[in-house]
Amino acid sequence: MDLLKRWVARQFTTRVIVLMPVGIAIDIVLGSTVQQALKLPIYLDSIGTILVGVLAGPLAGALTGILANLIWGYLLPAPIGSTTIGPFAITAGVIGLLAGLWGQLGIFRPRRGGRASIVAAAVAVVLVGVLALYTYARAYASPDQFVNITGFQTTDFDRSRLFFLAVMVVYVVLVGAALYLRRDVGAVFAIGAGLVTGIVAAIVSAPIAAIVYGGVTGGGTDALVAAFRAGGDSLYQATLKQGLLSDPMDKMITSFVVFFVIGSLSRRFIARFPNGEKALGSEPDVDSPAASES
Amino acid sequence: MIAATEVPGWGLPEYVVRRPGGLYRSTNPSTKLAIAALEVVAAFAVPGWPGVLAVFAAVLATAAAARCLRGLAVIGLATSPIVGSILLINLFLLPGAADPIARFGPLAPTWSGLWFGLQTVARLFAFSAAIALVYLTTAIDDLLADLARRGLGRRAVFVVGAAVQMVPRTIERASEIVDAQRARGLDTEGRFWRRARGVVPLAAPVVFGALTEVEERTLALEARAFSAPGRQTLLRVPPDTIVDRVLRWAAVIGLVAIVGLRAAGRLG
Repeated sequence: MDLLKRWVARQFTTRVIVLMPVGIAIDIVLGSTVQQALKLPIYLDSIGTILVGVLAGPLAGALTGILANLIWGYLLPAPIGSTTIGPFAITAGVIGLLAGLWGQLGIFRPRRGGRASIVAAAVAVVLVGVLALYTYARAYASPDQFVNITGFQTTDFDRSRLFFLAVMVVYVVLVGAALYLRRDVGAVFAIGAGLVTGIVAAIVSAPIAAIVYGGVTGGGTDALVAAFRAGGDSLYQATLKQGLLSDPMDKMITSFVVFFVIGSLSRRFIARFPNGEKALGSEPDVDSPAASES
Repeated sequence: MIAATEVPGWGLPEYVVRRPGGLYRSTNPSTKLAIAALEVVAAFAVPGWPGVLAVFAAVLATAAAARCLRGLAVIGLATSPIVGSILLINLFLLPGAADPIARFGPLAPTWSGLWFGLQTVARLFAFSAAIALVYLTTAIDDLLADLARRGLGRRAVFVVGAAVQMVPRTIERASEIVDAQRARGLDTEGRFWRRARGVVPLAAPVVFGALTEVEERTLALEARAFSAPGRQTLLRVPPDTIVDRVLRWAAVIGLVAIVGLRAAGRLG
């Protein structure tokens, strides 16, 4: 019991309490203004939540996500505030919780090795790509093969093919770009964690979208829900499939941005947070300006 | 801008002793929250039209009394994209609907789709309006002061209060960053991949800019004994009259009753 209390108290230091509103503001601002400026089919509304989760822990991350959605939905006046966001507070909480778990496992720490580890990671990414291509060629060559191998219905063939291809392309492109830009194997872990977070977020948010909004949320993803429903899917199936298409991509991109942000912050700043040591890793960062100053 | 004039006889600044005036606006914030929770649960848990219409009528009557119908109309307009989506998708694509209103080539709007879409939209309006009425008639600092009086910790109060204050400033800063990056040649209108390349150049400065305040704020809070033990002394507490308490408990009992009846299958 005492251990649990200490674990909870450790996540809510004054520094974390100050970071939480910053994370909430980042979620709301990037989810509204920047997303509107770029007009991309992703949400970008959990960068702050994942950042707090990774640096502070699961409870702080979950609370940041829940509060961000509740404040965005119910405390800020229109046009910034939007009551449609509020019910998705549960999803945001789960995203923060998972981010905290990834932070405690040290998933987001940099893994800057020599050329050998970069080459090994690149080979691993190519292997994943080849395996994906093989699966694609085997299972998605024809509807019959798809039914035989996966056991799903023929009606799911085209949509599953689209989903599989889109997620694999985004995964390979992101990981490749991360390796090229950051020369850091840690990006592979962070983007992989984003993929898992996205799948869980889709599963959690599907019933909320179906029950509260009849499957649509007024965004660009409504066209996907419409397409799935036109194909004969139930409300829940359509929202789940829409979520499985957009959430993994969104969370992979979000995780990459958070990994980039953490890698760019000074070691001294990060080390002061509860999960700071785990986010930094044990190896000294030879490239960072902070390290070279000391 | 709040004038920090002294109130004769009290010796306290005006912003400390000011009381919200007007019907419903002067109701205790926690009572408003309880009523809103009851309305939201009623809109979703009572099947068919009666629950939604009752909530709608109650919210509109209260908003008229509190003179904030215009604010509710603005929020209603803000939900128009989702309303359009809900109506269109359900009108044309409700699975299993076989009662067409008319046929336009491959498209056939159905009565069942229209009915389901209208009901979903009405629920959405009732739910949004019930919540919006609370924040249209309640100052954030009143709500936080009342929640703090009821035991909400100073950390939670700080997180919510600071976030609400920080959002408009960060939005202003984000708009400046978007303009600056556009001036440097960032393509925000071109093809998908060109726009996707803008995520990091736009998101990173917003995040770094917001994080710069963390160190200073932490030191400032610690210097003001933020983590000291003991309860905080509140300078201003919103009034909580007998009427407020009766209304609040009635709302809580109503909420529990609706959830219980729904769970027992008595609501149909």
